[in-house]
Amino acid sequence: MATNQGVNRPPLEGVAPGELRSEEMILNMGPQHPSTHGVLRLVLTLEGETVVDCTPVIGYLHRGIEKILENRTVMAGIRYMDNADYLSPMLNETAYVGAVEQLMGIEPPRRAQYIRLITNELQRIASHLVAIGTYLLDLGAFTPILWTFRDREGILSLFEALGGSRFNVNYMRVGGVLHDFPKGWLQQCEAWCNQFEKNLQELETLITGNEIFEARTQGVGYVDSQQAIAYGLTGPMLRASGVNWDLRVNRPYMAYREIKVNPQVRQEGDCYARYRVRMQEMAESLRLVRVAMDQLPGGPISTRTPIALRPPRGETYFAIESSKGELGIYFISDGSEYPWRAKIRGPSFVNLQILPELLRGHKMSDVVAILGSLDIVLGEVDR
Amino acid sequence: MSGGVVLAEVWWEQLLHGILSWEFLEFVVVFVSIFGFVMTSAVILILAERKVMAWMQDRYGPLHTGPWGLLQTVADVGKLLLKEDIHAGKIDKAIFILAPSVFLAPVIASFAVLPFSPYISLPGAPLATGIVYLIAMSSLDVVGVIMAGWGSNNKYALIGGLRSAAQMISYELPLVLSLVSIVMLTSILRDNGLGTIAIKDIMNFQMAQSWPGKGNPVWDFIFEGFTPWAWFILVQPLLVLIYYTCGLAETNRSPFDLPEAESELVAGYLTEYSGMRWALFFLGEYGNMTIVSAITAMLFLGGWSGPGVAFLTAPGMAIGWQVLGNLLALFYFILKIYLLCGVFIWVRTTLPRLRADQLMQFAWLILIPTTLVNIVLTGALYLLLNALGVSNVVFLVVLGVVNWLMLFGFFWVVSRATTASTRRAVAPAVRARQRLVALAPSPAAPRLPEPERAGVTGAGASSGR
Repeated sequence: MATNQGVNRPPLEGVAPGELRSEEMILNMGPQHPSTHGVLRLVLTLEGETVVDCTPVIGYLHRGIEKILENRTVMAGIRYMDNADYLSPMLNETAYVGAVEQLMGIEPPRRAQYIRLITNELQRIASHLVAIGTYLLDLGAFTPILWTFRDREGILSLFEALGGSRFNVNYMRVGGVLHDFPKGWLQQCEAWCNQFEKNLQELETLITGNEIFEARTQGVGYVDSQQAIAYGLTGPMLRASGVNWDLRVNRPYMAYREIKVNPQVRQEGDCYARYRVRMQEMAESLRLVRVAMDQLPGGPISTRTPIALRPPRGETYFAIESSKGELGIYFISDGSEYPWRAKIRGPSFVNLQILPELLRGHKMSDVVAILGSLDIVLGEVDR
Repeated sequence: MSGGVVLAEVWWEQLLHGILSWEFLEFVVVFVSIFGFVMTSAVILILAERKVMAWMQDRYGPLHTGPWGLLQTVADVGKLLLKEDIHAGKIDKAIFILAPSVFLAPVIASFAVLPFSPYISLPGAPLATGIVYLIAMSSLDVVGVIMAGWGSNNKYALIGGLRSAAQMISYELPLVLSLVSIVMLTSILRDNGLGTIAIKDIMNFQMAQSWPGKGNPVWDFIFEGFTPWAWFILVQPLLVLIYYTCGLAETNRSPFDLPEAESELVAGYLTEYSGMRWALFFLGEYGNMTIVSAITAMLFLGGWSGPGVAFLTAPGMAIGWQVLGNLLALFYFILKIYLLCGVFIWVRTTLPRLRADQLMQFAWLILIPTTLVNIVLTGALYLLLNALGVSNVVFLVVLGVVNWLMLFGFFWVVSRATTASTRRAVAPAVRARQRLVALAPSPAAPRLPEPERAGVTGAGASSGR
């Protein structure tokens, strides 16, 4: 870090002694910074407190997940997908097994599809809860994150009952899921839904309509719909800019072909709209979980698949609507047990690209407001 | 005999008399206990804050150190005292080391003029310019913060220090202006028309009205000297709000905690500090919180007045009752301070943080004009009603009604102002959208052909629940 005083500083060029000159300041935000959501490093050029330029530096969390997938059999690779977007492992697994199923032409049984929908929507709620909690923490409100993590805790407990692990659940399987719901799980989930409905209302009362929150977020980080499409934004980022595009609706997969989703769209395109979209999506996901539990069909939870899974030679692209946007897997198989290539199209990585564009001209305090509204997960950006 | 011996005798006697005198002992006891209060108040407040915040946020807070975690802050202080004193390289050493003391000293000095009870107070309490002294002390804090920001040789610290300089100076103005009306009120209420800026006198205005229904000992005990209807909070509620808001800003508390905004500036001017120096900053901050609450309690909530105080400390009572009355007064005063500190904590758990420019806007465009209007209005109302020849009581009632109306008007204006500024901020986005809509009728979803549905239709089997 450069000095800000005369101790070791060479004399400024072009400035007469005794004269003052102002210059732009370069500030390294991160990778160890409380609000860069992991290990993102932003090189900010500041003019006073106004951001002139921003260069995101990524790669601090690179673990080579795509390479690891190439060296694991398909079944063994599912577990590594948990670590890509570590806030929504269920969704990652669904994308991966969905790609393999598409390549192999397997249609999982209806019950498995419904179980996937329920777990996916719960995971979406959990991910949005973290997004909103940390976002408000970035804006200086301390309480929401604890309330949201309390509710998220319930989801993680449900997952623990389901897959044996709270976080790296390793629950999805090619052709179905690992276990059926254990005894009493649905009642537990129902109870959680009822509680969460109240808690969501409480959270809404605490945050929405708060004048400081509105002043901090409205009109900040505006993305218009053309720009959003041009940058390839997906998920809440895109829908907050007024583009009605949701893979669950526009390219429905699995049980979403039977259960209709109401996409949550807002027109404002600013940070506030992104926050609102996430809040509305949580309510919508809650509705979907309840509908799916009501209509839950019986039957097997998995098709019979060979233990040594050999996807046929070929390639496919399968995308689901993750909590952050379009999570796609480009899966190439050479006919062996190992995928020849499994490319992850991470929504966080794509959504992050618009950050420098959004930051220019904003104040330094808005950097965290905008970065938080993107809801990136560095595990997925760096993979 | 030489003169030296005589001098020595005098010096010796003087010292002996000085130390053994009742006044000196009293001073020592009061000083030590008040200094102890300042020091421990921070520890108690930190624990209270953690516990209250935990309660509001649906968690336990500190639980394991001592019974119910009561010793947590004690352990923290011990840890901070024992920590290694770390200096970053290339700091401006003298400034860096001096900054915590410069920050803390005015806070401790402020306590010198606080009257804790009718009897317990430091010799500074009768100071005739109490308010001015307090304001001067609270403005000195900013020097320590800037020193810390500059001396740390860290960009986050520098930005934090400069932000806090701008913030503290801006909020000093409405803070002082909000107290002007109180001083005006005292000059109106006094017969000779001379106001006062001595804290004890202002407090007396709020409890000097003797209880009219004298006779019944129970009612006398409660209401003698305890007249909540004469507290200035009823006459000037708007000023309490503004003073308290400025107090939040002065003490760098949420939602004005920009100088140490964790999510932006890591820890602001505290970034490079650790161990005891860091603790000194914290001590100063919580001490400041206590000071702001104490001033609010004294100027607007009647200070140490409460049921029984004036009755027990009346001139004719026995010494035991006097002591009890003083302790009671101390209890009421500290209770009021901690209740007001509770509001600090409550605000912190509820609100997000403002942005630097919004912070300045709020001070210069909303708070300062409001306080100025209030001063003019108080004066004009007095002149008007004085010309009509009504009594002071009617004036106070009218002023109170007007001020309560202004309070609700203030809320309305603030919400309108934020809405308007938000609308201005969103305007380019709205215009861009209108332009887009004008260009292309519907930028709605590009609808892709849906893939053919695989066979998952048909009635499902019975629910597997």
